[in-house]
Amino acid sequence: MSDLSVSAPAAIEPIVSARGLRKKFGRKEILHGLDFDIPPGRIYGLIGHNGAGKTTTLNAMLGLTSCEGTIRVLGEDPFARRAKLMENVAFISDVASLPRFLRVRELFALLSNIHPNFSIDKARSFLEGTDIKPEMKVKHLSKGMIAQLHLAVVMAIDAKLLVLDEPTLGLDITYRKRFYRRLLEDYMTEERTLLITTHQVDEIEFMLSDIMFIRDGELILHMQMETVNDKFTQLVVNDDAAQAAARAYHPVYEETRFGQTVMIFDGVDRNLLEPFGKLSTPTLSDLFVALMQRPTANPETAR
Amino acid sequence: MKAFTALVHRELIEHRGAFLIGPLILVAVLFGATILAFTVGRVDARFSGALFTVAPLRVFEVGFLGFGLGWSLYLISVLFFYCADGFAADKRNNSMLFWKSMPVTDFKMLLSKLAAALTILPGTVYGVALLSGVLLFGVAYVTMLINGTGTIATLASIVGIYGQVALAILVVLACGLLWYLPAMALVGAMATAVGRWAIPISLLLPALLSTLEWVTLGGLHPFATHTWRFIEYRSALPDPPYAEDWLTSDQPFSGVTFAADLVADMDWLQVGIGAVFALAVIYLASEYRRRVNDN
Repeated sequence: MSDLSVSAPAAIEPIVSARGLRKKFGRKEILHGLDFDIPPGRIYGLIGHNGAGKTTTLNAMLGLTSCEGTIRVLGEDPFARRAKLMENVAFISDVASLPRFLRVRELFALLSNIHPNFSIDKARSFLEGTDIKPEMKVKHLSKGMIAQLHLAVVMAIDAKLLVLDEPTLGLDITYRKRFYRRLLEDYMTEERTLLITTHQVDEIEFMLSDIMFIRDGELILHMQMETVNDKFTQLVVNDDAAQAAARAYHPVYEETRFGQTVMIFDGVDRNLLEPFGKLSTPTLSDLFVALMQRPTANPETAR
Repeated sequence: MKAFTALVHRELIEHRGAFLIGPLILVAVLFGATILAFTVGRVDARFSGALFTVAPLRVFEVGFLGFGLGWSLYLISVLFFYCADGFAADKRNNSMLFWKSMPVTDFKMLLSKLAAALTILPGTVYGVALLSGVLLFGVAYVTMLINGTGTIATLASIVGIYGQVALAILVVLACGLLWYLPAMALVGAMATAVGRWAIPISLLLPALLSTLEWVTLGGLHPFATHTWRFIEYRSALPDPPYAEDWLTSDQPFSGVTFAADLVADMDWLQVGIGAVFALAVIYLASEYRRRVNDN
């Protein structure tokens, strides 16, 4: 799978490094030997269908589950050294996981004693301008407010890696937009790495620097977004003759939308496709649909 | 240590209903009922004040000791339910992943729950018990004042009694917690794995173990086994002779003598073995919690 990766320069120690990562639940193998490196300072999108193995991969990174193969996060074995690792890793795995019995101020007070890298002042400042008040109990907050609170908590932790697993699940569009804007504006720096999974891929596309597509426990695409833009081309074509000619370049995906035929090409020179119709870069969701329906995005390197 | 203390404090916040608010409500209701009883004439202050003159010290001693017994029974039941519920609360509340995102090991997390069951939670109930004693003594002394028998000397005596009984309750509490530590740890460890099912399982377990011994090693019946005798032995706190001697005497109650007697009667080897057992089962439960990703 390393062939799929656009790795960081060798001198930079990856934040996450996995080799031959496998996980079985009973007899069923969920992860089939993943190999990947995540360099620091990047914003990664881990994208896949339900049950593709995204959460299992994240759980392996966070030390929540044991796996075969090797995985190192910040140089540590996450399963063996989870507690130590969590000093520099923050995660939101489920928006509803904040302890419901606590008041906001109690939560902050506890965290300031439990987590050495948590800043209570930062957490308070992140809540300024929101409807969340210190005396409120978590159980009385709305879903959106809990997401805001959880985001404030993880952003107040001075972590090197932030992992968000479907952090905006069930939130309305306003909250989702605010959530990601806050994350970009107030948290991300060059020293921090963000790994995010979501089904609303179009909403995070603007912020990603790299993507990983996972399907049935295998990474089928691991690439920088710039490379995605160079590598994949979307062609919208109307007349039949042009369609037939374009098909000669073996589109990886083809569909008809409102009477127009849309094709996605992998690694085909745009100059060759230009005469057939309108060219553009496929959106992440278009690419996702295209690549998830074929055996592999990179047949020559797939196992 | 700061993180551990915070985790112990977190247990009080999470279970303040059972260990603080509930007992305070109970005291408020009892105190309110007492005041009401005097106000509406259900109890005659002069009569009860006169009653105190018959054997004033003994009434105060027995009254507060009775309160202590009541609070001990309350504490035993809430601690049992705390162990069966609190150790599984993170899973039940769907907050397991939040706590796992903290730089704290699963062992430390479970140990903090056990430490809370030994310190801050019973300590809170003890505080409320002391408050109930103050209110009891206050009401009793006021009735003596109404009756005209309350004096400064009596007040000094009941303050002394209060201190002696408070000491006795504290020592019973401390010894009881140490004595029942392995049982609390076992219930907590089982709750980590099976949640609230730990309640029926922990009640059935002694009978099951005893029956297994009877089936495999023989005996008169399932409750005439070494296992059952051991469980009976570990179920009851030592009964120091001082308590019975004092009840049949006319001597004032001495908390110091009672405490010394109880401490001397404790099987400290068993306490030590129990502590090691408690740590072992908590460690096993923490390994289960570390390996089983329920969320």
